[in-house]
Amino acid sequence: MSQQRKALWEAELDEDLQDVDLNLAIGSYGQSGLYDDAQSRIDEATLLAVQQQMAQQAAFSQIPDVVKRFIVHFHQAVLDNNLAEITVAYESGWNRLTEKFYSKTEWPEAEVIAPLVNDDQIFLILYRELYYRHVYSRLQPDIDDRFHSYENSCELFNYLLNSDGPVPLELPEQWLWDIIDEFIYQYQAFCVWRSKVKSKTDEELILLADASQVWSSYSVLNVLYSLIQKSKINEHLSALQEGKKAEEIAEIVGEFGVRPLYRMLGYFSLIGLLRVHSLLGDFTLALKVMESIELNQKSPFTRVTACHVTTYYYVGFCYIMLRRYPDAIRAFVSILNFILRMRQYHTRSYQYDQINKTADRMYALFAICNALSPTRLDDNISGIVKERYGEQFSKMSRGEEGIPAFEELFLYACPKFISANPPPYDDAELLAAYVEDPPVEPAQRHLALFLSEVRSQAPVPTLRSFLKLYASLDAKKLANFLDADEEEMVQQMMVMKQASRSVSRVENEKGLLDGQTISTSDLDFVIDDNMVHIAESTVGRRYAGWFIRNTEHAQRVFDTLRNAPLPALPKLNAAPVATSGTSDAPASAPRTGGQRVAWGGVKTA
Amino acid sequence: MASVASNWVSPPTRTPLIENLVSGVDRYNPSNVGILEDYLYHQTRSQEYDCLANLAILKLYQFNPDLYNPDVVINILIKALTSAPFPDFNLCISLLDDRAANTNPDEPDPLPSLLPTLTMLYNLLQQCRFPAFWALYRSDEVESLRDNYTVECAGFEDAVRDVVIRAVKAAFTRIGRERLGTYLDLTGSDLDIHVAKLGWSIDSSTGVVTVPPNPDNRIESTVVQENIQLPQLTKVITHASQTA
Repeated sequence: MSQQRKALWEAELDEDLQDVDLNLAIGSYGQSGLYDDAQSRIDEATLLAVQQQMAQQAAFSQIPDVVKRFIVHFHQAVLDNNLAEITVAYESGWNRLTEKFYSKTEWPEAEVIAPLVNDDQIFLILYRELYYRHVYSRLQPDIDDRFHSYENSCELFNYLLNSDGPVPLELPEQWLWDIIDEFIYQYQAFCVWRSKVKSKTDEELILLADASQVWSSYSVLNVLYSLIQKSKINEHLSALQEGKKAEEIAEIVGEFGVRPLYRMLGYFSLIGLLRVHSLLGDFTLALKVMESIELNQKSPFTRVTACHVTTYYYVGFCYIMLRRYPDAIRAFVSILNFILRMRQYHTRSYQYDQINKTADRMYALFAICNALSPTRLDDNISGIVKERYGEQFSKMSRGEEGIPAFEELFLYACPKFISANPPPYDDAELLAAYVEDPPVEPAQRHLALFLSEVRSQAPVPTLRSFLKLYASLDAKKLANFLDADEEEMVQQMMVMKQASRSVSRVENEKGLLDGQTISTSDLDFVIDDNMVHIAESTVGRRYAGWFIRNTEHAQRVFDTLRNAPLPALPKLNAAPVATSGTSDAPASAPRTGGQRVAWGGVKTA
Repeated sequence: MASVASNWVSPPTRTPLIENLVSGVDRYNPSNVGILEDYLYHQTRSQEYDCLANLAILKLYQFNPDLYNPDVVINILIKALTSAPFPDFNLCISLLDDRAANTNPDEPDPLPSLLPTLTMLYNLLQQCRFPAFWALYRSDEVESLRDNYTVECAGFEDAVRDVVIRAVKAAFTRIGRERLGTYLDLTGSDLDIHVAKLGWSIDSSTGVVTVPPNPDNRIESTVVQENIQLPQLTKVITHASQTA
């Protein structure tokens, strides 16, 4: 069977290659522009074409049969809009073959596999999307890869946005998310790469001088906003919140928005904007574009875990930069608990690493927020934070001397900031000046701003530790304890008061920027002329969440056990089922070392 | 009543035209920068403040370095200064990408020399070091900022005093008149008038100003107990009834 098929592709291949090469030959002739020795040019071109053909044939013959079969099958699944098959090919087949054949090299180029898919341009664009993503994640992309992946993204979005009406394509939600996610990742990677002038070769310098539009911020934003507008996703989300019926929504969102492909791309583009604005340091706008999104875990748009995690990471981070630590803490607690709970159910391994890394950065950010605005919101998460960042946390809780710890965690956990504009590649003189006196790196700029906020409230922990001991005391006496001037101390008390207040979304206000002023500290005080009066609020330990979670978990374990078939014979394969049941149980405990084991266990079960 | 935050996100003084620029995609159109800049100058004259609109200007500058106008940036930063303790100032700085050194010697860029001063002033306000703020602000070092910029910004000093009042109101029930005077940089009858305008009262015999009670200067000890809401138990109960 497979033998026969292979022969068939090869037959098609010859014809198709002939076509391609003819075009190529004509192409080079047209471009040469030298008429006097046109004859020799043609010969050269033909020669080149023949060589190219041979090279492509050689490349084609290098492709293992199983990969060829995979591509044909994948193509068919895309043609049929068969989501189940596409998902299998996308999430499992591609990764399996990558591990087996392409862990250290590129996949075959799109031109080489074109004959396998009848030169289907749409499929080839999708294939290149995967091809470049693999180059970026596993290999070192060179300048051609960077430019071509940009061109390919443009072609893809052009096809989606500028065809007559919605395109009849369907792709799994995960893939759609990955398309947007990767698009922004490549933009960010390009900006970082382009900012390093010194390491560029002469050829790269020439290319960069002419290519100011490649991966420009405007072009990236343009794509995201176009997808948002085409899909009418904001209107869609508002309609959902108003409780409109499905038919009404269909009417509102129009021919594009009703299609899952556009709807999901629109939603993911909103998250993409959140991310791009954060990377560019516009934290206010980042949260503003999320106006119509309600942050909760019940929305139909949260099925893609990676998207969900990204959303909360950037929202939480923006809140930190807006000095809204309680909101940041709430975002992190909510998503970190989600990650802990879903850990045992997830079997799609290729995202685990990424999600795990983001989660770890969020634990670091949580530690930062908790040092700046101590809360007891969630003992579970606080426990893990103490385990991972206990040392930094205790330093950060000590004011000025904790600054290096803030710095360390911030740089580890912040987004990979970029500058909006390239170095002046088009002007040699300016470029030389740029190399001579390079600007401060974006991450360092944002770090400095964050630390200035941290520094301004540096005296708070010490004051707090003294105030905790008294119900009231004389300001002069307090100043003596602190070995400080009384006036200076009073000013620090005002800082402490300000640090204990924050704007926060307490009542689930509409829009992530809205909120009201709340008190964030359990220790409050007031100065009556020269007397300081102190009041402390105590929060009883919270048990409910823990018991509810564990009751639910016990119920699930119980169900699994009850539904598992009885082992027919003790020696048969019933054993793994039993072990996976028991290995689930410890997974809910906040034990970091156990994660991989728990997931691995589920995967093999 | 609209909350602090919602006033900040969309001040009631913002016109529909500006709202459209702040919230729509037209904010990226470089040809709209003039409208936003005019709106900024309107803010400096009228004591209004619209942080998001000003951030939109900085965004346009970020993407279109050719539009960059240092005077506008400085005015934005001066407006942002007085919204302390909110971090508007840093949010603005955050959008100022490092730009290539100024190449035009005829039009020197005043921003690089003023930025450290502005940052220092901001830090002093953030740290509630008000007397130090006034000392720096009145010093010779800051003369060019005062003479060229803050003088044009209507009510700048009163806006700084509003920052002071926000801090004092939250931390004090009573405060010495003299201490308040050093924070507000006011003495004698000016101080009395300002205090009276706030509706605060001065005890002339003791020289102590009484700050009216507000949510931040009324303190009480509380014990917060955990409340369990029924919806939290939905899954547990559903499961129990299903298996019963």
